[in-house]
Amino acid sequence: MATSSVRDAASTALRLEVWVERNLRYLLLAPTVIILLGLTVFPTVYMYIVAFQKFDPSNPAASQWIGFDNFARLLSDDKFHNALYRTFEFTFFAVSIEFALGLGFALLVDKHIRNLNFIKTVLLIPMMLPPICVAIVWKLMYAPQFGVINDIFKRVGLHPLQWASGYDTAMLSVIIADVWEWTPFVFLMCLAGLASMPTEPFEAADLDGASSWQKFRDLTWPFLRPIVSITLLLRIMDAFRLFDQVYVLTLGGPAAATETLSYYIYKVAFRFFDIGYAAAISIFMLIVTLMFSTWLLKRMQIAD
Amino acid sequence: MAGTTTESQESGLKPQHQRWLAAIALVFAVAYTLFPVLWLLNNSFKTRLDMFSSPPIYINGNPTLFNYIQAFVERPFLQYMLNSAIVAICTTLLSLTAGTLAGYALARYDYGRAKKHISMWILSTRMMPPIVSIIPLYIMFSYFSLLDTKTALVVAYSGFNLPFVVWMMKSYFAEIPRDLEESAQVDGDTNLGALFRVILPLAAPGLAATSIFCLILSWNEFLLALIVTNTDRANTLPIGIAGRITQYKVEWGEISASGFAACVPIVLFAFVVQRHLVRGLSFGAVKG
Repeated sequence: MATSSVRDAASTALRLEVWVERNLRYLLLAPTVIILLGLTVFPTVYMYIVAFQKFDPSNPAASQWIGFDNFARLLSDDKFHNALYRTFEFTFFAVSIEFALGLGFALLVDKHIRNLNFIKTVLLIPMMLPPICVAIVWKLMYAPQFGVINDIFKRVGLHPLQWASGYDTAMLSVIIADVWEWTPFVFLMCLAGLASMPTEPFEAADLDGASSWQKFRDLTWPFLRPIVSITLLLRIMDAFRLFDQVYVLTLGGPAAATETLSYYIYKVAFRFFDIGYAAAISIFMLIVTLMFSTWLLKRMQIAD
Repeated sequence: MAGTTTESQESGLKPQHQRWLAAIALVFAVAYTLFPVLWLLNNSFKTRLDMFSSPPIYINGNPTLFNYIQAFVERPFLQYMLNSAIVAICTTLLSLTAGTLAGYALARYDYGRAKKHISMWILSTRMMPPIVSIIPLYIMFSYFSLLDTKTALVVAYSGFNLPFVVWMMKSYFAEIPRDLEESAQVDGDTNLGALFRVILPLAAPGLAATSIFCLILSWNEFLLALIVTNTDRANTLPIGIAGRITQYKVEWGEISASGFAACVPIVLFAFVVQRHLVRGLSFGAVKG
């Protein structure tokens, strides 16, 4: 009796082990797929539902269906158009400056920094800090009365500025902080690309008497392009969703001069409690992001 | 070396000049990178009066711990820090467990044409702007009465981190030769046994780097915590810091002290993961 139950237990365990082994490839994926379904797919589907409602936060079941009204508002809402414009403005200028500086700097110091890991680590500090801390550091330096930037401006004979609190300079201030935070990222990515570049083609090009520009155009750039594309994709997507720095530096102001899409959605949803309309803007933002990233990923073909 | 010489002749600069130029640029870059952080540190030791002096005080002759005591003893910043740490550690454990298994599966098994779709789907969930998922998550958490809990943050951050963990671990596993599992199986190990006894120990550096990235991502997150939490029992450090800034008043002393404290663990981590950084930042796409 005892031996047979032991044998039963043993054979159940064995059968379980065989079953686990046979389905291992699915079992290993299951937790990830379940978590992601619950946390991204379900919310997205739910958001599509909410976007067609006049959502009532206190009693979701009583929400009215209003068809495409929320989406129609997108066409006539000037604040939404402003947020869209500000987001593109920020993304374009911040990412362009970061690439110009990061790539240029990588080309300049490439051969001289390969073994200087300490310096590389120092350079990566800004991008790893909490964005909130980046924002307070710059808010402190931008302060018009007691800030260090205006002090330096005065010492070198420049006119002090209002920085984050001035309508004309607020966006510039947010961009400068972002450039400080993310240029090292572009720099390090380009550096990694340059470090993995073979030397033979360059030696051959030297023998053929190629100019620096020719070497850059025909050898360096084609080799760097995949890495630059990935970096560009990550930077654009990150810049497009800017929120934290705006929240601390400007609160979207003055007069909505720095109100990005993320910040506007936050305001509509959690200040005005217009959740249905916020969902409609979110869907717009999601579609733009997905269209852009699929396009860029297809072009780069990094998926394997 | 020969290549360098010709190249510098082309650009009209001698090699030693080129080296000087690079050195000057590097010194400038390091100074520019560090100055803002050091300025925050400097400010955190100033008295309330010195903080608002104009012109600002560069060398502080009168340092004080007042701001740190104010933030961590008088105000609940120690609690915020503890909340941040708990959330970051739980998130890392959860997402690393699930993500490592999936990363291994995607690196080793053949799912036919579905494989590419699964990988891309996992990556695409990461492309979603956080603000987009936050509205439905907020409604979901309020439905399950999870608003203002650390549990809600752990659950949501695990979802945010998973795609990253999967892609990172996938790239580390892909570098481990397949023969190792095969020989373990010849020795009588099951697939799962081979994964735990042979492969995971080899992937340990990758696991360590990935977990540090997860810790940093959760430690730094702001937007979701801003919406989900609203009392001291779940507020994280970034929320505590931002909460001292209003349209009318900025508590510079507390903010500088707690802000610098929030940066310290990150700087330490940065030195630990330096070698893995490029790969981490590109989701495993660039080996660096």
